[in-house]
Amino acid sequence: MRLARPLENLINQLLKLPTIGPKTAQRLALYILKLPESEARQIAQAIIDAREKVAPCSSCGCLTDVDPCAICEDEEREGHILCVAEETSDVIAIERTGFRGRYYVLNKNFHLMDGFNLDDLHLQPLLDQLSSGKIQEMVLALNPDIDGEVLSRYLADLAKPHQVRVTRLAHGLPVGGDIEFADEITLRRALEGRNDV
Amino acid sequence: MKVIDYRATNFRNLLCVEHQPSPAMNIIVGDNAQGKTNLLEALCVLATGSSFRTNSDRVLVNDQAEAYELSSSYEYDQRCFETNIKYNARTGKVITLNGRKTNPHHPDRLRVVVFTPDDLYLVKGSPSRRRFFLDFLLKQAGAEYGYHLDNYVKILRKRNVLLKKNQANTKTFKLTTEVFVEQAVRLVVARIQMVNLLDQLVGPLYQDISGENLGGLKLRYAISFPLDSGKINFENLRISMLNHLDTIKEQECARKSSLSGPHREDINIYLNNHPARQFASQGQQRSIAVSLKLAELMAIQQAKGEFPVFLLDEVLSELDKERQQRLLEYLQKASFQSFLTTVNLEKNQFADSQASIYRMSGGKLSGKE
Ligand SMILES: [Zn+2]
Repeated sequence: MRLARPLENLINQLLKLPTIGPKTAQRLALYILKLPESEARQIAQAIIDAREKVAPCSSCGCLTDVDPCAICEDEEREGHILCVAEETSDVIAIERTGFRGRYYVLNKNFHLMDGFNLDDLHLQPLLDQLSSGKIQEMVLALNPDIDGEVLSRYLADLAKPHQVRVTRLAHGLPVGGDIEFADEITLRRALEGRNDV
Repeated sequence: MKVIDYRATNFRNLLCVEHQPSPAMNIIVGDNAQGKTNLLEALCVLATGSSFRTNSDRVLVNDQAEAYELSSSYEYDQRCFETNIKYNARTGKVITLNGRKTNPHHPDRLRVVVFTPDDLYLVKGSPSRRRFFLDFLLKQAGAEYGYHLDNYVKILRKRNVLLKKNQANTKTFKLTTEVFVEQAVRLVVARIQMVNLLDQLVGPLYQDISGENLGGLKLRYAISFPLDSGKINFENLRISMLNHLDTIKEQECARKSSLSGPHREDINIYLNNHPARQFASQGQQRSIAVSLKLAELMAIQQAKGEFPVFLLDEVLSELDKERQQRLLEYLQKASFQSFLTTVNLEKNQFADSQASIYRMSGGKLSGKE
């Protein structure tokens, strides 16, 4: 039997999502079709809304619906400490530890594998912040893998002329693990035990 | 370490095998293509997470099935562990230890030494064979080596891509090279220490196996770059390798590939002060290979406090009668657990041994004879 074209299309669209395999995509598609129409519309509308209204903050790169974002607008935050993270999901994890500095999110799936040249990273907003003289310490919260290692050195080099102390998350992170999946206690300990680069 | 029991389900032709092996020597007899090697392979996967015959888990799954499952209980350091490995082409591989998810580098995992007819070419064969021997051993001797090796392979690949894209003059390449060298030197230091240990262990073993009393067997690790200063330590190796990469930069750019590092290194083997590859007879080379395998067992014993399990696949038929006899005597008086497969069994070889003998036929293992 050939699937109805719109159903086949929905399954193929869902398949584009991470961690979704063919069987899950099919189950989700059929589930959506059984939902009351209003609920199905809500899901579709939520995707459209999020897509239209959320974008990287022009100053820190966090995904936000108001620019500058709530963290950048928060006067209570310690302005002298800047945490560099790879993705907004990392910021969410670090926020839960009680960290109250500021952030810079790279928002880039860079892969040295593809011969990526780090000079092509869009880092002007970060350079502006570093040269503003307000920042005393830059904490690198990058994944403790090989890419994170090379990137850390690159960012430490950038900070050097500005007399900013550069530290990175120390021990406590699971070997080869993603920051997003680190539990709060490990992450907090990693923040406390950060090392100079 | 001793395997108490193990089960294999839909693993190659082993549809459902359960076995409570002897804590000493286990001999598995059977014709070719009945599943003897698959049984050793299952034990190797249980210990290391991967096979000694293939890098693909997919081919390990029985043609009629979608997934394989292996599990085992084993005893290590007065504790009993349960491990389980499930592989499914769609969801990948999940390894558990005492019910908790883990990775193959966990320090309490089962350890094995695998001896196949291919290992008899350890002396004569290409350097990659000797590097594989060292890496396999080091991964099991310590939890960190496997992690560093994975990282080395990644950074090497990335560095080669940058060379292919003519990016050798970028800051990215310079920093990648720094990290590459540090990863490389971590491996080199570990390998030098291991080769020095094997060098001490292998001499007496060679005399036992070969029956030769004269002269000696020496092992030396061959680094792929000149050492600037006499002392071998992390910092000196790091500086020397960085300097060497500077001098060969043009060649690397021209060849678009990394020309120095652990992926180009080797173990030099000397018998009576001559390179064994050219000067040792075939019989001597086979004795060296057997001795290296026994040294591997002892090296793991030193690192982990207990002997690993020894898996010997069809090696007897490759040795002459005298060497067979000496190896069998060694195994029968050894305190470690071993599994040996063979097509022919000469009963008199095991006349008064305590070896347990099993028969493998069509993927089914039948009990002691
Ligand atoms: Zn912001």
